[in-house]
Amino acid sequence: MRRQGHYGDGASDEALLSGVALGDERAVLIFVRRYQRRLFGLALGIVGDSGMAEDVAQEAFIRILRHAAVYDVRRGSVATWTLTITRNLAIDALRVRRPIPTAPEDRAFLDLISSERLPDDAAAMSESVAQARSALAALPMDQRRAIVLAVMYGRTVAEVATLESIPLGTAKSRIRLGLAKLREAATVMEIP
Amino acid sequence: MSHVPERSKECEALSDDLIEFALGTLSGRSRSLVLDHLETCAHCNAESESLADVADTMLWLAPDAEPPLGFETRVIERFRGSEAQRRIVRRRRASVFAVAAMLVAVLGVGVGAVVTSHDGANLPSATVRPSTGRLMSGGQVLGEVTISSGSPSWMIMDVDTGKVSGVVWCEVTFANGRSETVGKFTISHGYGSWIAPIKASGSDVRSARIVKANGAVVAQATFTT
Repeated sequence: MRRQGHYGDGASDEALLSGVALGDERAVLIFVRRYQRRLFGLALGIVGDSGMAEDVAQEAFIRILRHAAVYDVRRGSVATWTLTITRNLAIDALRVRRPIPTAPEDRAFLDLISSERLPDDAAAMSESVAQARSALAALPMDQRRAIVLAVMYGRTVAEVATLESIPLGTAKSRIRLGLAKLREAATVMEIP
Repeated sequence: MSHVPERSKECEALSDDLIEFALGTLSGRSRSLVLDHLETCAHCNAESESLADVADTMLWLAPDAEPPLGFETRVIERFRGSEAQRRIVRRRRASVFAVAAMLVAVLGVGVGAVVTSHDGANLPSATVRPSTGRLMSGGQVLGEVTISSGSPSWMIMDVDTGKVSGVVWCEVTFANGRSETVGKFTISHGYGSWIAPIKASGSDVRSARIVKANGAVVAQATFTT
């Protein structure tokens, strides 16, 4: 990694990844700066521990940067790709630390399932993310919890049923109905 | 008007598993069944992608958070280290093959095993067991040194300094405290790879250093006994 290109802060994610793949140090720097708060935030939200979240976010960056050359734009946006890698690593880390799933009841989880939005969040959110948040907040609480447990924390339907003390069939239907409503809402919003 | 793929009875039977598949939480035999089905079902492929997109959207909802101080530097340093290591492994593999070919040609197959089996495994005898050390600088791995214990002993060095270029000297220190300059080499664009004979058994070498003309140590490897 020795080259030094002319990437500016406004370079697209795809251009930065191309630069990373070519070994451009500036592209790496801008990419890390652009995504560090988001990846760390997601990792922290899932694992709930700053030290562990740093390990997860670091590992996510290493994998993303190392595989920059094989990123395929047809498989989704760079942002979604990076978040998915981070989410999967965080879930793996969480499963190693807590082999028996426990219901996350920390602030990050409660914020996610809350139908309220903190005033300072509103300014920081892009419109599309705010719409996604609204769509989630519009779900009944039981569906919201099931969706967040499955999507953000990687819990299986059976684990959701156990954590929520509900029959398996109920867990399935909560997730199915919740996803259907979110998909309906997503048809009118554009996620970056 | 776009064609909507038809849904079969098999689709119906797999609908719950398809949701878990799209969320990434399905495993084992159920996952295999869904994958088999997806190979031939356009409807479920479209459904799975659509559900996965919805799930991906949720990942945006975790609030950003400021990472601990120095996070950015640690990520970049770690990436540099991993990239250097990968390049070294690739080039070392190539250079080791080249050296092995040379030694086989000059000294015969027995000594050739020194470099082809540089991790010490399955060597023909204890007399040719090599020593290997990592070249370190500031906590970063910059390369590797392998020293054979045959007669003569050979030092194979591979280094990626990242930015140092120019002429450097390689020094080794032996168990009796004596130091010796093995030779003068050139690092080009940060990379260097060379082989040289040393006048001692490899098992007697305690450390190897790459030193610049002004005496500054670029990297050092320590060998354990």
